[in-house]
Amino acid sequence: MIRGVIIMNDQGKPRLIRFYEFQLIFGCCWSILIRGLRLACGEAAGAGSKHLQNRAENVSNFVKVDSLFGPSYDHQLAGCAACVQNFCNIYFVFIFDNSENELAMLDLMQVFVETLDKCFSNVCELDIVFNFNKVHTILDEIILGGQVLETSSSDVVMAVEDISKLEKNSNSIIPSIPGWQGR
Amino acid sequence: MGSQGGFGQSKEFLDLIKSIGECRSKAEEDRIVLREIETLKTRLSSPNTPKFKLKEYLIRLLYVEMLGHDASFGYIHAVKMTHDENLLLKRTGYLAVTLFLNEDHDLIILIVNTIQKDLKSDNYLVVCAALNAVCRLINEETIPAVLPQVVELLGHQKEAVRKKAVMALHRFYQRAPGSVSHLISNFRKRLCDNDPGVMGAALCPLFDLITIDADAYKDLVVSFVNILKQVAERRLPKSYDYHQMPAPFIQIKLLKILALLGSGDKKASEQMYTIVGDIMRKCDSTSNIGNAILYECICCVSSLHPNPKLLEAAADAISKFLKSDSHNLRYLGIDALSRLIKISPEIAEQHQLAVIDCLEFEYLFVCSFSCYKASMSLNLAFPYMISISDNHYKTEIASRCVELAEQFAPSNQWFIQAMNKVFEHAGDLVNAKVAHNLMRLIAEGFGEDDDAADTQLRSSAVESYLQIMGEPKLPSAFLQVICWVLGEYGTADGKYSASYITGKLCDVAEAHLADDTVKAYAITALMKIYSFEIAAGRAVDVLPECQSLIEEMLASHSTDLQQRAYELQAILNLDAHAVEKIMPMDSTCDDIEIDKSLSFLNGYVQQAVENGAQPYIPESERSGMSNISNFKSQEDHESSTHALRFEAYELPKPVLSQNVPPILASSTELVPVPEPLYVADILQPATSAPSGSDAGPSELRLRLDGVQRKWGKPTYSSATPSTSSNDTVKIQNEATQRDSVGISNSKTRDVSYDSRKQQVEISPEKQKLAASLFGVVSKSDGRQPSSSQKISKHQNPTSDKSRAAKTAAPDTAAVKTSQPPPDLLDLSEPSVSSSAPSVDPFKQWKAFLI
Repeated sequence: MIRGVIIMNDQGKPRLIRFYEFQLIFGCCWSILIRGLRLACGEAAGAGSKHLQNRAENVSNFVKVDSLFGPSYDHQLAGCAACVQNFCNIYFVFIFDNSENELAMLDLMQVFVETLDKCFSNVCELDIVFNFNKVHTILDEIILGGQVLETSSSDVVMAVEDISKLEKNSNSIIPSIPGWQGR
Repeated sequence: MGSQGGFGQSKEFLDLIKSIGECRSKAEEDRIVLREIETLKTRLSSPNTPKFKLKEYLIRLLYVEMLGHDASFGYIHAVKMTHDENLLLKRTGYLAVTLFLNEDHDLIILIVNTIQKDLKSDNYLVVCAALNAVCRLINEETIPAVLPQVVELLGHQKEAVRKKAVMALHRFYQRAPGSVSHLISNFRKRLCDNDPGVMGAALCPLFDLITIDADAYKDLVVSFVNILKQVAERRLPKSYDYHQMPAPFIQIKLLKILALLGSGDKKASEQMYTIVGDIMRKCDSTSNIGNAILYECICCVSSLHPNPKLLEAAADAISKFLKSDSHNLRYLGIDALSRLIKISPEIAEQHQLAVIDCLEFEYLFVCSFSCYKASMSLNLAFPYMISISDNHYKTEIASRCVELAEQFAPSNQWFIQAMNKVFEHAGDLVNAKVAHNLMRLIAEGFGEDDDAADTQLRSSAVESYLQIMGEPKLPSAFLQVICWVLGEYGTADGKYSASYITGKLCDVAEAHLADDTVKAYAITALMKIYSFEIAAGRAVDVLPECQSLIEEMLASHSTDLQQRAYELQAILNLDAHAVEKIMPMDSTCDDIEIDKSLSFLNGYVQQAVENGAQPYIPESERSGMSNISNFKSQEDHESSTHALRFEAYELPKPVLSQNVPPILASSTELVPVPEPLYVADILQPATSAPSGSDAGPSELRLRLDGVQRKWGKPTYSSATPSTSSNDTVKIQNEATQRDSVGISNSKTRDVSYDSRKQQVEISPEKQKLAASLFGVVSKSDGRQPSSSQKISKHQNPTSDKSRAAKTAAPDTAAVKTSQPPPDLLDLSEPSVSSSAPSVDPFKQWKAFLI
């Protein structure tokens, strides 16, 4: 199953965190996570740079995450791998265990990004920051309880549009927030 | 970005995100976030806040929590929002609770009712939102509350709802298999659902179920194969295509299931060959997803009953992967190769070069090296390991190499060579356990009853270490292994003389003056060699450099080293018979039995009691009289609240009884025994045995009395003056107390008891002064007890040799097993450093030594 999804920018700031097996307890291991992801992104450990550099040329997208999240999560994530991919300055990280196919995860990420792109018409980091409730909605349509639910981005877009239409209708009593539906 | 205005969020949120984005340090970010938390706290709890504003605040709160701050004060507002009629607010509320709460949170109980209501809603989107929340939040206790509704939804007309209901059931199954065991047939039914999406969803729980018990689902093989066939033949609606592949995720899941069902089952496998072969042929290897399916096919083939045709196809596919430019594909190629190699090893030969190429690209590849002969893979890995400077990677690779070597070593010599290499280049990074394993391996041989082979292994190890040890800058862990092996087996085959080996050991110790552990290993090794020599009846000539080393150690600041040096000196003065008992040749693997009940003293005690000594009163009876001691009251507590005891307290004892064997016993350095209780148990035989003799150890006893008087609760009959609460002190008291029962000379004890009482009543000012002086005192203090011991040790053997031989066995047992420095002599040391005594110990020592 998929254990978690993380979206972060190139400075290591989290934009979306979703874990399916357990709650990542706030603050406790954030720095370890960032360090681990930096490593994952091919950056030499201990490099002083604040920015995640572009992934080194000579590494694949997959990393073992056994020890990325600090001791309190090691047993829960034992045997898991992460798939890291960056689009522009946003890094997408999927964490999954050995019952998933690595390349398929890469494609699932592609589906997710495509869907975001369709929903926000050319998605950028700010879209994700300001509408992360919508991003969560999209993610919920793709992954439910750690299992892949839907892989057709057009279907996801349709479902999300249905939701937003309905929300808009019930929303009309509150005129002051147009919401993200307008986009 | 011109679009900020269109998001419907207020300017405040915009400013927050902007300022966080611009801040330069974590501290600055924290300040901003804390301010935001304060604002949100007041706004959220104010009753006048309009609902739609509340939604935005909640989202801001989510944002704050995502940045790693505590937002628990707002959880209740999220829960309240799920009750709202407005769909937008309700969904926001659900989103917030799924992100905030974990399944065991107290607030869940407040949501269950809402979820129940929403699951019955007419609006399927509300139902979906509720199902999402169900997946995340419902725990074992609350499953029964929502289970009927979820099961009902399996027949919902909307496929999206059915899909999510299947997922929810799957989740329930993961959480608490027992609660839904009667519903498992539903998953099979959903396999025949009209909608492929629902069918795909049903594959997830089935995969889990089949992983646990494949046999119960063998009847489904035909259906799975049929479904896969239909999918591969594009019978599904176009909307399931992804990059021109028909429903790839369903295909992958099905292939995984087939792999499980077909493994080790020829009949089932035969049904699958055609379809798997078809898919492999049809796969479009230009797209990522096509390769994903191809990879899954290879995995499937490797776990099915072998079929030559399919294996050939798989090998072809692997070679394509390995030759690819994409790193991802190479990675998967190697992974697939390592799977396939188990079935047909010859494939490895073809792809050697490709794998070597890959090695340069990523360290992770090393993990897949098990597909090659260990020797070859390590030969590849070592240069690579040496070439990298990053410690993280290096550690990773070193541990992989060790793993590989342990699994695939072609011969013992090879293994030792390989380990030498690993230690040489990454010795400080490998786990200490690896070093211990290596020592154990050399000591135990390889389990076969072939002594000649073991001996040969050992001498080759000794030889290789003698060569290596001259090199500068060897890692500490490696030196420890070297010292240990040389000590145990350096002179075993007679090839090298004792003086040669001891000279080498001295060199090591002198070259690493800063490393106490290495020095300790070296000096213990010296001790072993000398005692082997003595036991063999040869004259021991201690080299001048060894002599000076020992002298140096005698004055060392490390009590451990000091202890070892004194032991060595004591052994040098014993006769061959005693030494042979203390340090038997090649006895590292022998079990040492410790007579915990000290039954060999029974006769002696009996005699003492007959002569008028007070009988021993067990701890439990005594504790009624004096409950001042923390240790005792703690013990009382333990025994009275027996039900509450945790496992952890129990642990040390099994260690004692079972674990004395090989390594543990072989040398004192190997396994740390941090449990004070354990030490105390061991101490007992050691301290009481010598004190059992009449004349010789009078000094020893005297010293122990001193200790007792210093901190301890003196005897069971007296009021306890001690104020110390340190555990080690207590334990030590216990030991001395128990052994004092064995001492027949009760008169002297009474005398000393009186004087003790007087000394105890020292004014508080004096105590303070003593405490302040203590830092200075403790240094000389640490040395003195051992010097007194030294005298007694010297005297013992000469005065009573047979006794020494008799007590030698338990003595060595204690020396060998008790860990860190067997505190037989330096009982005072730990307490000196850890607790302030109530009286000036220096004075007391003086009083006793004079």
